[in-house]
Amino acid sequence: MESIKEMNIFKMTTPNKTPPGADPKQLERTGTVREIGSQAVWSLSSCKPGFGVDQLRDDNLETYWQSDGSQPHLVNIQFRRKTTVKTLCIYADYKSDESYTPSKISVRVGNNFHNLQEIRQLELVEPSGWIHVPLTDNHKKPTRTFMIQIAVLANHQNGRDTHMRQIKIYTPVEESSIGKFPRCTTIDFMMYRSIR
Amino acid sequence: MTVLQEPVQAAIWQALNHYAYRDAVFLAERLYAEVHSEEALFLLATCYYRSGKAYKAYRLLKGHSCTTPQCKYLLAKCCVDLSKLAEGEQILSGGVFNKQKSHDDIVTEFGDSACFTLSLLGHVYCKTDRLAKGSECYQKSLSLNPFLWSPFESLCEIGEKPDPDQTFKLTSIQNFSNCLPNSCTTLVSNHSLSHRQPETVLTETPQDTIELNRLNLESSNSKYSLNTDSSYIDSAVISPDTVPLGTGTSILSKQVQNKPKTGRSLLGGPAALSPLTPSFGILPLETPSPGDGSYLQNYTNTPSVIDVPSTGAPTKKSVARIGQTGTKSVFSQSGNSREVTPILVAQTQSSGPQTSTTPQVLSPTITSPPNALPRRSSRLFTSDSSTTKENSKKLKMKFPPKIPNRKTKSKTNKGGITQPNINDSLEITKLDSSIISEGKISTFTPQIQAFNLQKAAAEGLMSLLREMGKGYLALCSYNCKEAINILSHLPSHHYNTGWVLCQIGRAYFELSEYMQAERIFSEVRRIENYRVEGMEIYSTTLWHLQKDVALSVLSKDLTDMDKNSPEAWCAAGNCFSLQREHDIAIKFFQRAIQVDPNYAYAYTLLGHEFVLTEELDKALACFRNAIRVNPRHYNAWYGLGMIYYKQEKFSLAEMHFQKALDINPQSSVLLCHIGVVQHALKKSEKALDTLNKAIVIDPKNPLCKFHRASVLFANEKYKSALQELEELKQIVPKESLVYFLIGKVYKKLGQTHLALMNFSWAMDLDPKGANNQIKEAIDKRYLPDDEEPITQEEQIMGTDESQESSMTDADDTQLHAAESDEF
Repeated sequence: MESIKEMNIFKMTTPNKTPPGADPKQLERTGTVREIGSQAVWSLSSCKPGFGVDQLRDDNLETYWQSDGSQPHLVNIQFRRKTTVKTLCIYADYKSDESYTPSKISVRVGNNFHNLQEIRQLELVEPSGWIHVPLTDNHKKPTRTFMIQIAVLANHQNGRDTHMRQIKIYTPVEESSIGKFPRCTTIDFMMYRSIR
Repeated sequence: MTVLQEPVQAAIWQALNHYAYRDAVFLAERLYAEVHSEEALFLLATCYYRSGKAYKAYRLLKGHSCTTPQCKYLLAKCCVDLSKLAEGEQILSGGVFNKQKSHDDIVTEFGDSACFTLSLLGHVYCKTDRLAKGSECYQKSLSLNPFLWSPFESLCEIGEKPDPDQTFKLTSIQNFSNCLPNSCTTLVSNHSLSHRQPETVLTETPQDTIELNRLNLESSNSKYSLNTDSSYIDSAVISPDTVPLGTGTSILSKQVQNKPKTGRSLLGGPAALSPLTPSFGILPLETPSPGDGSYLQNYTNTPSVIDVPSTGAPTKKSVARIGQTGTKSVFSQSGNSREVTPILVAQTQSSGPQTSTTPQVLSPTITSPPNALPRRSSRLFTSDSSTTKENSKKLKMKFPPKIPNRKTKSKTNKGGITQPNINDSLEITKLDSSIISEGKISTFTPQIQAFNLQKAAAEGLMSLLREMGKGYLALCSYNCKEAINILSHLPSHHYNTGWVLCQIGRAYFELSEYMQAERIFSEVRRIENYRVEGMEIYSTTLWHLQKDVALSVLSKDLTDMDKNSPEAWCAAGNCFSLQREHDIAIKFFQRAIQVDPNYAYAYTLLGHEFVLTEELDKALACFRNAIRVNPRHYNAWYGLGMIYYKQEKFSLAEMHFQKALDINPQSSVLLCHIGVVQHALKKSEKALDTLNKAIVIDPKNPLCKFHRASVLFANEKYKSALQELEELKQIVPKESLVYFLIGKVYKKLGQTHLALMNFSWAMDLDPKGANNQIKEAIDKRYLPDDEEPITQEEQIMGTDESQESSMTDADDTQLHAAESDEF
């Protein structure tokens, strides 16, 4: 018994904070992924006036979305066509948002609101930067979907509302779609690859 | 025009010549309010147009009747600037619905400005898709005035092949005189005429000095002048005695004296007319003419000299009117008796009622002492060819006095002007004087000499234009090697100018020799950092070479310098595109389009960005727009082909690539793409032929060889594929694709050890890329019966994110994966 208690105490005193991930811009620069949030329709379950979708998608980490309803708070991303999505990046910062920082997030995909299935659930412990969420299906390939829903199920310190500063969604750049002109590594090849 | 208006007019022209548009506009408005004549209207409209407010000129002229040719021309120009092409056309030629005027009608109506009118009309026709008519107009315009470059350029761009030799030549004296507004050139051989002209000039303009000065200052006005008196004598001289308005002249004289004596243009013609164009052949005023001092022929540069007839300065060398006795006139430069000359271009103002006859005289003035040989400002002809340079061969004058002429030609097309090379003039004058003193010239009468000299200068310009024309024509037909060759043989002081170097840079660009192109363009930036035309090609070159720092410097500089030029925004867009920030690049390309909706390249670049962001519909629209603006923009045809290729509509793709190839037959990249498409259409033989052709055209293109190898591989010709790939390995040793394909070939040949080696090299060179391709290969191989091995592979692949996984595992995976015979 005591050992179990000890173990519990041990766990509580040393929570593993979620480490911040790399800046997604670097991901973009590798040319392997592309941000496709602009091709989607974004909607929120609730928001405070002046703290809505625009602030969530404005590339500015100072502005944020603040929800204004009951949990779970939802961010819905709907594409015009079935899109391959590889990674979801969320920026969360415990130091600035404290009790508004999400702690449990569920990512669901599907065709429409009635058809969503959870594919990822993540626990955040005092995050302090970008969180990369790979969206892969059972076969470890990027998911193809019409809609993604990000649900904030719980916040730190049991806060009711949540702040979310930025969300980015990435699709893999299809090499083969450049049509039999696969990605070359050297400039010599790339120079002759296309006419611009 | 009454006497009352002339001082005001003179003041207005003076203000215009000094770019003091507010003053000019104000005075012109007052003049117009006072006298509602068409001439005043034209003057006011000109002031508005020159101050950059074409819409004001347009509305003003529309609101009143314009019957004079110059008003009509200006109105048409405003219409075209404001994109009201139909209206412009109607004004110039009667429009679509009325009876159209023939070119001859236009020529008679507009007289000396017919060449510009026809050029404008040609532009309208070309923009409204009537290329045949447009080209006719351009041809006619060129035949009327071979000094015009832009019709020639437009002809080349629409795909016609005008012959530079035929176009740029002075066919007859008549022609010569027509081109130059005050025909400062035509020398009338008979004295009577010469006598007459100045007199008429004198009599008509009591205040001609002012006019003179004004006219001198105002060179561009010359365009509109001269209808009737086309054959003027060069040096019409206005005697200072006739200067009535002392104040005016004194002011002007001061001005004149203060003018920098940079040089005098021999050619009073168009070159000298505009204050901007340095004349062809320049004689610096300061240099005392060595040798004979008795004669002095100075051709003043318009802006620099307007010699005010110094009132009561008979001691100064008088400028003799050609064929005239020396008693008249003296326009001498203050102080220096040698220097004389205001080049006065006699010119009558407008046609019609108001021949205010402000004679604008721009002509080489010849010194009065009749015996004195005009010291031919042979300086004219030569800037640095006192020694016989190879160029001089081209530019030798045809007639006996073999004065080595190296005419400093004004830069064509872009109006950049090379500064007269003053140092050379000294040499030349020395040389010339020596030649002259040989006495050969003495046999000629001054006027014929002057005329010959002018003609020689013009000939020099013509021969330069011929060469440049050939080069430009070759470039527009995408005969790039030829173009480079021709343009490289231009004389070095013309070679080292922005326009020529930009054309050469573009030729290298079209040949896909991006390193060379970059070198040339950086030279352009060094010598002419104000040049924006052609910089979009430079930015694309840097994009191809992936030189992001240089590209970002270029785009910053250009956008700082000129926010209204589409080229600057294209460069900025290219910069962000290289950084893979496609949204921002799209924004900048859209800005370029806003700035100039008739700029085809901006549409093309925007289309490419949309392709990269997978918005193919928008991309299609952009490429189509580019083609609408310029049907010969082969990049846009290529873009369309690429989109169809991505959508797997291979025959459409082939068709579009073929169209692009028809325009630009020497592009190995295009041939390469066609080859690949043909292979996709299963026409492998043809594909190989095409790729062979591509390799012949450009042996340095590694992608052609690569695709040839992959086609051979697909056709199971493994040995030849290997051979090809081995060669390619030598050329581009660091390309992972090459090793990957070699690996696949070896696999097919059963040499697994070599295959593994090559795959591992490929992975080393590009871990992520290899993974992608292998994954793809796996995807393609996802068949139900092969489940087991595949899931195994996938497992391995899933854990194998870095090269650290055991080589054997990875290799096994690759081996299995590389079964696909497609690439």
